[in-house]
Formats: sequence, C-alpha cells, structure tokens
Amino acid sequence: MSHGTTHEHDVIIIGGGGAGLRASIAIAQENPSFSVACVSKVYPMRSHTVTAEGGAAASIKPNDTLEDHIYDTISGADWLADQDAVEYFVHQAPPEMVQLEHWGCPWSREPDGSVAVRPFGGMKIERTWFAADKTGFHMLHSLFQTTLKYGNIVRYDEHFATRLLIDDDGRCRGCAAIELHTGRVKAILGKSVIICTGGAGRVFPFTTNGAIKTGDGMSMAYRAGVALKDMEFIQYHPTGLPGTGILITEASRGEGGILVNKDGYRYLQDYDLGQPLDVSDPRHPLKRAMELGPRDKLSQCFIKERWAGRTIETRDGHVVHLDLRHLGEAKIDKRIPFVRELARSYAGIDPVHQPIPVRPVVHYVMGGIDVDSNSATTIPGLYAAGECACVSINGANRLGSNSLTELLVFGAQAGKHAARFAMDHPDYNVSALETQAEDEGARVRRAFFDAPRKGGERIVTLRTELHEAMENGAGIYRDAESLEAACATVADLQERYAKLNIDDRTHSFNTELTAALELGSLLDCAEAMAHSGLQRTESRGSHQRLDHTERNDEEFLAHSLAFHQPDGSVPRIEYKPVTITKWPPGARTYGAGSGLKRE
Amino acid sequence: MSGQYHRSHKWAWFFERPGYVRFMVREFTGFFVGGYLVVLLVTLSKLAGGGEAAFAEWLASVSGPWWLVAHLVALVASVWHTVTWFAVVPQAMPIYLGENRLPAPVAAIVMGYGPWLTVTAVILWWVLR
Amino acid sequence: MDAKDTMTLEIFRYHPETDSEPRFQPYEVPYNEDWVVLDAINWIKDHVDGSLTHRWSCRMGVCGSCGMMVNGEPKLTCAAFLKDYYPFGIKVEPLVNFAVERDLVVDMDGFMDKLQEVKPYIIRDDVNDTSEGEYRQSPAQLAQYKQYSMCINCMLCYAACPVAGHEDEFLGPAALALGHRYNKDSRDQGQAERLDVMLAGEAIWGCTFVGECTVVCPKHVDPAGAIQQAKAMAAQEFFKGFVMPKGTGA
Repeated sequence: MSHGTTHEHDVIIIGGGGAGLRASIAIAQENPSFSVACVSKVYPMRSHTVTAEGGAAASIKPNDTLEDHIYDTISGADWLADQDAVEYFVHQAPPEMVQLEHWGCPWSREPDGSVAVRPFGGMKIERTWFAADKTGFHMLHSLFQTTLKYGNIVRYDEHFATRLLIDDDGRCRGCAAIELHTGRVKAILGKSVIICTGGAGRVFPFTTNGAIKTGDGMSMAYRAGVALKDMEFIQYHPTGLPGTGILITEASRGEGGILVNKDGYRYLQDYDLGQPLDVSDPRHPLKRAMELGPRDKLSQCFIKERWAGRTIETRDGHVVHLDLRHLGEAKIDKRIPFVRELARSYAGIDPVHQPIPVRPVVHYVMGGIDVDSNSATTIPGLYAAGECACVSINGANRLGSNSLTELLVFGAQAGKHAARFAMDHPDYNVSALETQAEDEGARVRRAFFDAPRKGGERIVTLRTELHEAMENGAGIYRDAESLEAACATVADLQERYAKLNIDDRTHSFNTELTAALELGSLLDCAEAMAHSGLQRTESRGSHQRLDHTERNDEEFLAHSLAFHQPDGSVPRIEYKPVTITKWPPGARTYGAGSGLKRE
Repeated sequence: MSGQYHRSHKWAWFFERPGYVRFMVREFTGFFVGGYLVVLLVTLSKLAGGGEAAFAEWLASVSGPWWLVAHLVALVASVWHTVTWFAVVPQAMPIYLGENRLPAPVAAIVMGYGPWLTVTAVILWWVLR
Repeated sequence: MDAKDTMTLEIFRYHPETDSEPRFQPYEVPYNEDWVVLDAINWIKDHVDGSLTHRWSCRMGVCGSCGMMVNGEPKLTCAAFLKDYYPFGIKVEPLVNFAVERDLVVDMDGFMDKLQEVKPYIIRDDVNDTSEGEYRQSPAQLAQYKQYSMCINCMLCYAACPVAGHEDEFLGPAALALGHRYNKDSRDQGQAERLDVMLAGEAIWGCTFVGECTVVCPKHVDPAGAIQQAKAMAAQEFFKGFVMPKGTGA
C-alpha cells in the first residue's frame, strides 16, 4: 500500500448510490464554484439503490394528506422515529420526487399524464410512485446520468475509502481511499464529508442485499467516534426467494397478490392484521391490513406459522406462497414484469401460472450512523445520509417505499448542510491529514500484507461463522441467550480477524484485500447490532425479544447509541430520547379502521 | 507493471459469431441485387431506345443457360435480402398504437410484405390485363 | 443429482504486475444445479484462490457488474446457469473489445466517457419549479422511450459489436441507445445538441446494423433499433442544416 497522491476538493462524498448522487447534485447546483468529490468503491450505477423495486413514497394525490403519511410512518416505526424528522421528511418528499421527475426518471403514469401511485405496506393511502417494478434502478440511473451534466462533480470510481481523516481541530476533512486500479492509498481532502455508503445486510447470510452492502461507512464513522444508533433494528422483508434471497417486491402485494400457507389459507388474518377481502372484491387489497401490513409483522407471522407447522418445506427451507395468479398476465407484465422475470429465472416458476415460494429475508438496517435532522453527525464537518445513516425516520420498522424517498430528501439535506459547513470552515491542515492517510496505508499493509501466511484463517471461514452467529442470535426473534451467544462469537471473530490470511498480496485490483476490509466493517456492524439488541429488553417493531415480549415505553422510548471502544472492549450503549411532537405513543393497529383517527 | 492487456482482433472477425456470418451473407447478397439491377436497367434502355431488333438481340444474349443460373442466384439473393430487410425494419421504424408497440411480425407485414405484395399484384395486373 | 458431481471452469487469468500474456487456469467446482456461473467463480475465490479477480454485486441481473464471456458469449454471469452447460466445461473470459485490467476485470473508462458524450440527461430551455408539479407525460409518450431507458450499462453489447471492437470513434450501442432515450423523451428539448454529437465522424455512422447488440442485451433494450432510429433523426437534422441556417430549425 504505497502512498499515492493528495486530492483537494470542497466537499467529499463517500458512496455513489442514491443518497450520494443526490447530495452531489445538491452541492453542484447550489455552489457552482465548489468542487465535489464522489468517492465510490464501485461505479455509481452499480450501487445497491439499483435493486430497489416497488417504489418511493410521497403524498401528492388529492385523496392523500401529509398528515396521513406522517402518521403511517410514525406508527409503522412503532413510535421510535423522531417526529420532527418525519415531518420534515414527509413535507420534503413531494418536491424531491418532482425534482427527480424533472431530471428524467421514467415514472409510470396515469392516462392524464400525471404520476401514478400504488398502495404499499403499512400505508393507509396509495402514495408510492413507481417506475414499473424497477424504481430504484430508474432513480439511480436518472441521478447518475444527471450528475454527468455537472463539471464540478469529480468522480473517484472504484476507490475504497477505509478511514475518515480528522483535522487537529476535530473536524472531519476527508478520507483515505485505496484506488483499486493501482492499490495506492490516496488522501482525498475537503472541507466537509458526507457518508452515503448504504446498509450492512451482508452481516447476515440470507439477504436481499448485494455483495457491496458491507457497512463500510458505518464502520468508518463508528471507529471515528460517532455512535451507531438503533442498530438492533434489522428489517426482514417478508417475501424473498428461497435459496438466493432475491427480493420479490412488496408491490406484488400492492397490486393485489396474497400470501397463503400450505393449506392455501390466508394466514395473516390470524394475527391481528384484519380480515381478508376476496381477491375479486374491488376494495382488495385493503390498505394497512392483511398483505399490506408492515414488514416486521408479516415476517413475524411467517415464523409463527412455521412454529405451528403450517409452512411449506422445500429444499431451500420453509416457505409460504405468494399468489399472483388472479392478477392475470397482462397486469403482471405491465406493473410487475421484473417479478415475473426473477421468479422465472431464479425460482423456476411463472407467477402467471404458479404461486411464488417466499420467505423472510434480511433487507434493510433501520439503524446507522447517528445524525440529526440536518444529517449532521457529532463530528463537525461529518454528515451521513441514506441507509447508512439513522436520522431516525424509520424507527423500529421502516415502511416500504420510504427509503428511496429518504435518499433524496436527506441526500439533498446533507449536501446543503455540508456545503454550508465547507463555506464557514474553509481552512484545514493538509500535511497533518496526509500523514493520517499515510498511516492508514501503512496500517492496511501491516494488517494484510506483512502478516505471516501460516496460521491465519480464510475470509470465508470467518464470514460464514459471522453469518451463522447473527442468523441464530439476532434474527426475527431473539432473546438474551441468543444475543449473548452472538456477542461472544463476534468478539471471538474480531480476535481471529487480526490474524486473517489473504492469498493475494499484490496491488492492482486486489479484491481479496477489499473483501478482507469489508469483513472488518461487517464485524463492527455486527458488534453494534448484537450488543444494542442485548441491552434493549423490550419488543418493538423489528426487535422482538422472546424474553421481553412487550413494548416498554417507560424505559425504551429511546434510541440506542453504540460507541466503539478503541481498546477493543465491548461497545458502550447509551440512550437518547425519541423526539415526540404531536403523536404520542399509541397502540400499533392494523386491519379495518386502523390508521390516523380524525375528528 | 506491464499495465492493461489488449487482445488483438482477428482479420476474419466475421467468423467469430454466427450473427456476423449472417450479416456478411446479407451484405454479400447486395452484390447480386446490384448486378441484377444493372441487367434490368440495360434491358429497359434497349426496350426504350434501340428498336425491336436490338431488344430481341439483347433478350437472346441473356437467355443462355449460364444467364439462367445467374438469374436464379440473383433471385434467391434478392429474396433473402428482402426478407432479412423486412425482418429488421420494425426495429428501425417502430409503430405505436397508443402505448403499445406493434409486434415485429405485424409491423413487418404492414411495412414490408403488405406493400411488396400489393405493388407486385398491381404490376402483374397491369402486365397481364 | 450426485452431490459429488463437479464441473471444470477454465478461467482467463492476467495480472498486470507479473504477466505479459494471459493464460487459462482450470478450476474444479462442485456442481449445483441452482448455481450460476458467478456462484462458481465466488466459490473459487472464497475456497481455492483468493487472487481470482472479478466484479459483482446484486446477483439478480440489474447492477450490470458481472458481464463476462461465457464460452465465447457475452453474458451476465449471475444469469448464466451451470445446468445449461453441464456436464461440459465452461470457459470464462473478460468481455472482449475492452482492455483487461486484471483477470475478469475490464477497463470501463472508455465507456464512461462515451456515455457522458451523448448528454444522457434532460436538457430544457424552460425549467419548471418543483412547486408547479410534475411534467405531464402520457403513457403513450412514456412508451416511446421506456425500452431504451432499461439499459443497465453491463456492456455486453460492446462485446458483441464488431464495430465497437475496431472503431474507437464509434460511441457504441449502449451510449447511443441512452442518447436516443433522451431524444425520445417528451420532457426533453436537447435533441439538436445530442444529434450534433452523434453526427460527428463515426460516432453513430460507424454502426452497420449487424444487430448482435440487440441479440445479447439481457434487458431487451434493442440498441440496434435505437441506433437506426437515431440515424434517421440525425440524417433529417443533417439535411435540414443545408436548407436552413443553424438555430432556425425546429
């Protein structure tokens, strides 16, 4: 790891997915004299935003209100969302989505040319904008292609950021990044930094997340001293394909698909999610009910069905059936063609004629880098947005189609505030930061290239053990024993990680090295997840404790904050209260009559 | 460090994929289409300007067995050229009915085979009436 | 299926720091009928040879990272199933018509430059404020360009195009299709600017309509069709240039 060059810009963005690109454009537009660096370990259009399918929520239709979107989000979050942040998010959602429309996103349309919306889980009214069922793909490519218009956005494609550079005054001023092409470590310096590196679903073995979702940004911030917030809240999406974990979008249920157990019975009606309407009923699918309940509850229902012996056993584990047959070929091809393509390729069935086998799959991390509603972390000059950040608008359970909108709203917000910070704090110490980058290069070299080849373990060995520990210990249902076991395994793996052995000790495009670095990030995230989960002795949203089955607002209407301990000891867990403005915690109900009560 | 590796191209690149071979065959049929066009133009000019004797003499000179073979080859090549052309026309000129694109086979009939057969029928009628 | 079944993958290896010529290295992998070629490559990297280098991420055919030559055909390796090749061996190479950085990784920078050249973004003289709401676009107007917006930039089309392999000036199937996608978007007013780019040299005229780009496209974008349509638009623009001075045209 030789030290490469130093590059100076005004704002540094780490991550080139939806949030990073939105932030880049926000800065490039508002400060045309600014130079924006977009540092990404992959080419931006490979970012995981690309796989999002169903849609993005914003309240624009006459039958909808902002208040309804706010209430759905807060109740969906089991009251763990900060309500001021949710209000800001919901108010900013429509202009941000229209902005993306102006940038060319090919939204599906109504006959009159207005943007079409579809129902989504946990939402009382249909408000999910969609581009058939490749919404994330179209959003990402529209954003990426729009960035090509701005000469002041400088891309560092295939640069793997490994460390935040902190100035003498404690401000974040850039990152050290390995240029994959050459293996050189560059110091990429700026007056402020935004982390937009996405989630960490790869902590788990069975996930919708792509290979790149390894929590690198979360780990970098954690090691720089920022808390990871609410990391115990992991979203399982109820409908993934068995075997691969490939996502079958919630839009398939928004369009009217139903979930049935091995008896062909719509089992969700047994779990306080309302009564089913016949699929031929024009009111089907009922919003905020049955198949359009929230993801946490639907995934929990699957486990209960499994415990009751009513799931279907397959070679790839237990499944239930997602039945779309009644939608008919024309509707499936028009509204959810990708679902058909994926089911045919990866499950070997055609949903026009057969039900799709599905099971819950790790999909999203509600928690992340602790930021306020300005997207600012506790380190001056450091911001975060997107899945890697926790504002929190998602609380204990994110509603489907809020995350794509979140990328836009908080990507723009982070861009705006990072640009202001850069204007107000222009001076930094280049040589001190360069020294830090050099040290980082030396650290990576020592850790992975200078280590003896004998006695170390392979990446896959450690990763597989991590996967098992987290699936068994921190899955849909957890208890003290399972979480303690996960904590212990992660600690053991952290120790063994220090002696990791990699085959490849060359410089150019060393993806074994990046896989090793990613494993380090995963271990950090897993540590925060398991310890935060162990400390939260209540059940809320996606965090369901078999030994503490009730929600406990007195003690835990609070965000957990996991702080990394430089000496390697277990993270310190603190709590900070949730911001409640107008919606006091209440019972979380789904089914007929649920939703915001009006006078 | 020796840098990137650049793979060289074969001069006979057109054998690398069946699609390339088909492309080259189609390009090659253009030679026959062109050749036949020349014969047709000469025939027309003889008919228009040279008097009946010269035209008969021309007809006799292109009626030998080798000419017949050449005509047959040109016919096959022209039909192949035409059919493959009609197959790709819908790609180059899509027809939309509202939000639905006319399926390629239908578009090929509308833009290719239909007009072709119509024009052929009109000419036949005109010649045979 | 016999659990001990195996398959052989012959993989193109090239390391810029040590090799002047590439070589093929055979690897024995377990045969699993659910596996795609990418799974086998990942298995090799995890268990046999950590130095094997390739790109991948989503493993569901939408991120566009894992395009490679599989038995000579450009394929997304996440969508190429072992069972379609079993029991014969599989030869894996980096996409042709690109320089090789290392093993199965090719240099994409040329493509990225070409993409930028076609100005793949909405260009308008009059930009509405977001408070005025969305631009109206009927489903019929959407259908005019939707197909061409489905490109995942996997570059299989460049590997299938004989012109892309021989003519550097040619912008290539994906970039041209994306340029055409914006030209056909009812919200866009930048057609003249884009056609100027396409009309230059071999930028678009390099295309001889071989059509293999469309054959290999995993997302049914039909770049060949898009390019012929764009050529027709460009030709119109070219002839318009003779009859009226620049700036007065539509």
